[in-house]
Amino acid sequence: MIFGFNPEKYRKDFPILQQRMIYFDNACMSLKPTQVLDAMHDYYTRYTACGGRSSHTLAKEVETQVAKTRHALKSFIHAKKDEEIVFTRNTTEGINLVANSFGLQKGDHVIISDKEHNSNLVPWLKLKKQKGITLTVVESNADNTFSLENFENAFTKNTKLVSIVHTSNLDGVTNPIKEIAKITHEHGAALLVDGAQSVPSAPTNVQNINADFFCFSGHKMIGPTGTGVLYGKMDRLEKLDQFIVGGETVLDTTYDSFVPEKVPNKFEAGLQDYAGIIGLSEACKYLERVGMNNVEKHEHTLNKAVTERLNNKVTILGPEDPKKRSGIFSFTVKGKDIHHISGILNSSKNIMIRSGTHCVHSWFNKHNMKGSARASMYFYNTEEEANIFCDEVEKIIKI
Amino acid sequence: MVLCLLALPVFAILSIFSIKYKKLTADALECLFKTIQLRKCESGLDDRIKADITGKVLKLSPRLAQFFYNYYKIISWIIMILFIWSMFTSIIGVYNYVQYGNCNGPQSNEFCIFDPTGQNSGVSETEIDTHKELTSPGVEENRTIIGNPDAELTIIEFGCYSCSYTKKAQAVIDEVLAYYQGRVNLQYRTFVLPSYTNSLESALAAACADEQGQFEAYHKRLFDMQTDTTLTFTSIAEELNLDIPAFEQCFAEQRYKEMIEDDTLAAIYAGIEGTPTFFINDQVIVGPKPFKTFQTIIDEELQ
Repeated sequence: MIFGFNPEKYRKDFPILQQRMIYFDNACMSLKPTQVLDAMHDYYTRYTACGGRSSHTLAKEVETQVAKTRHALKSFIHAKKDEEIVFTRNTTEGINLVANSFGLQKGDHVIISDKEHNSNLVPWLKLKKQKGITLTVVESNADNTFSLENFENAFTKNTKLVSIVHTSNLDGVTNPIKEIAKITHEHGAALLVDGAQSVPSAPTNVQNINADFFCFSGHKMIGPTGTGVLYGKMDRLEKLDQFIVGGETVLDTTYDSFVPEKVPNKFEAGLQDYAGIIGLSEACKYLERVGMNNVEKHEHTLNKAVTERLNNKVTILGPEDPKKRSGIFSFTVKGKDIHHISGILNSSKNIMIRSGTHCVHSWFNKHNMKGSARASMYFYNTEEEANIFCDEVEKIIKI
Repeated sequence: MVLCLLALPVFAILSIFSIKYKKLTADALECLFKTIQLRKCESGLDDRIKADITGKVLKLSPRLAQFFYNYYKIISWIIMILFIWSMFTSIIGVYNYVQYGNCNGPQSNEFCIFDPTGQNSGVSETEIDTHKELTSPGVEENRTIIGNPDAELTIIEFGCYSCSYTKKAQAVIDEVLAYYQGRVNLQYRTFVLPSYTNSLESALAAACADEQGQFEAYHKRLFDMQTDTTLTFTSIAEELNLDIPAFEQCFAEQRYKEMIEDDTLAAIYAGIEGTPTFFINDQVIVGPKPFKTFQTIIDEELQ
C-alpha cells in the first residue's frame, strides 16, 4: 500500500494492462475489467435475445438483466426511482435528447459555461440558429474555476435551462454544482448536468445535487462503449417530449396517431445495446467494490504527485491545487508543440495521453491556444507510472 | 512538410497492401497540397513523424533526441535530397534494366538489384574497365563473315576460344544473328590472351579450318574444348570432314599467325582489355551481355 489505496489489487482484472504501457487517457476512454467483458460475453453466448418484445425464456432473461442494470445505475447515482434512468448511447445523446425535447422556443434563454465540451455547446448553438433561443456563456474566473457571480448575473426572466459540465474534461475542475442548482432553481429554470467526467471519478448523488437532468457515459467508467445514461427527475422526464421515436417508444399506433410509452421506455427507441447495458451494470458493481471515495482520493493523490514534480516546469491549465483538478493534469510546455509531447511520450515509453483541444475548441479559440497535453489518471494507475510520466516529461522539457 | 512528401510515395505503395496506410497516404497528400498552397498541414502527420522518431531516439540518448528535435528540418531536407537522388537513380536503373537487362547500364558488371542472381546482368571479367573509351578498329576486309555477307550491319567480336566469357557470349550471338535474319552478321577476330592455354593455337586452328571453308562450324565447336577434354584440334577437323593433312600442315606452319597477331594488335590499339568485346559501329559491348543489350544497340544502328 503506497497511498493507502493499492491499485495493484485491481490491475490484474484489466487484461489490457498486461501490455507494457502507461495509460493516462482515461478522461477519454477508461479500460475495461474482465468482469465487464465477461458479462457482455455472457449475453452473447447465453441469452442473446430482444428485451421488452418477446416473452420466451431468453427474452425474459434480457429484460431481467436490463432491469437489474437500471436499478444498479439508480443506486450508483442515488436516483429516486429506477425509471429515472434512461439508457442512451453516451452523454452527447443525453444532452441532445434534453435539448431537443425540453420544448425550448424562440426567445427562451439557456446558460452554459465557457468550458463546455462540444457536446454541451453545439446542441444549443443549433437551437439558437434553428429556433432562435438565446444563449449566454458564463465566463470562468482567472484560475479557470467557475464564477458563481458571473453565473448569477447571466440569468434573465426568460432563462429556462442551465446546462453545465460537472467536472471539466479540459482541466479537471469540478464546478460547484449544488450552488449552481440552487441558483438555477431560484430563477425558476431547470438544470442539466454533464456528468461525463464526474461520475467515473467521484461519488455521485443526483438528489443531493438536485439536478433536473444528469447525463453520463459508460465508456469513461470502465463500462462498454456506446452506453450512457440520462437521469431525470420523474416529473421532468414525464414532461419531456420524445426525441428519437420508433420501436418500443410507443404503446400503440394507428395510421394517424401513436400512444407514447411511459418513462423511460418512451426515450429508448429501437433495439438497445443489451450487451453494453449489461456490461455497464458490472462496471457499476466493480466501481462500488473499489469505492468511489477511494477512486476520488487516488486520483487526487496521483495528480498531487505529478503536480508537485512538474508544477514549475510546465504550465498547468486550471488551478494549481491538484485537489481541484480530479485526475486530470492538463498542461503545456513552453516551446514545445503539444502533439510532439504526446507523440514523444507514446513513442519513448508507451505513455498514452491526449493532446489537442479535447473537444473544447471554443475555450482554446478564446484563449488563442492550440490546445494542451492532457494526462488523465484513474484508480488503476500507479505512483510508479506517475513517476515515469514525470521523468519523461522532464526529458522532453530539456530537448 | 518535407517528410510528408517523402512519406507520400512510401505510404501510397504500402496502402496497396494494408488499409491502415490509406489514411496516412491521405494525410501525406493533404500535407503536400497545403504546403503547395503555403498553408499549414492540418493532418499533423509531420508532427507525428517528428514526435515518433524523437521518442524512439530519446530511449537511446536524450542528447541525440535533442539534436534530432532541434535540427529536424535540416535532417528532413537531407533525407529528402537523398530520397530524390535515390528515386532518380532507381528510375535510371529501371530504364537500364528494361533496355539492357542490367540496371547499372549496358557496360556494367556490377550487382543489379532487379536481377540478384546476375543471370541477366551479363556479369563479366570484373577486372576489366568497362567504362574505358574504346575505338572500333572497323571491319577487316577479306575476312570470313559469319552470317549473311551482305548484311546491313556487322558486329565485330574480339574473343578468345579459351575464354569462358567468350564462350558464354556465343549463345547470345547465335540468338542475335537468328533474330535479325540476315540483317546483321559477325566478324570474329581473336585477341590472344597469353595467360590462357591454347589461346593462340585455337585461333590458328580456326584460321586453318577457314582455309577449307569451315570456319563457322569449327569456330563454334572450338568453344567446347573448354569443357570437353577429349576434343583436339584434329578431332574437330575430322568431325567436320576437313582435309586433315592439309589442316595439320597449315597448323604446323602457323600459317595465319601474322593475321592473328595483327588482330591482337588491333584489339590493343582499340583499347580492349578483355574478351569478349563487341563493336557495333561505334558502340561497344564488353562481356557476355544479354540479348536485350545487343538488341537495343543494333536497333539504334539499323535505324
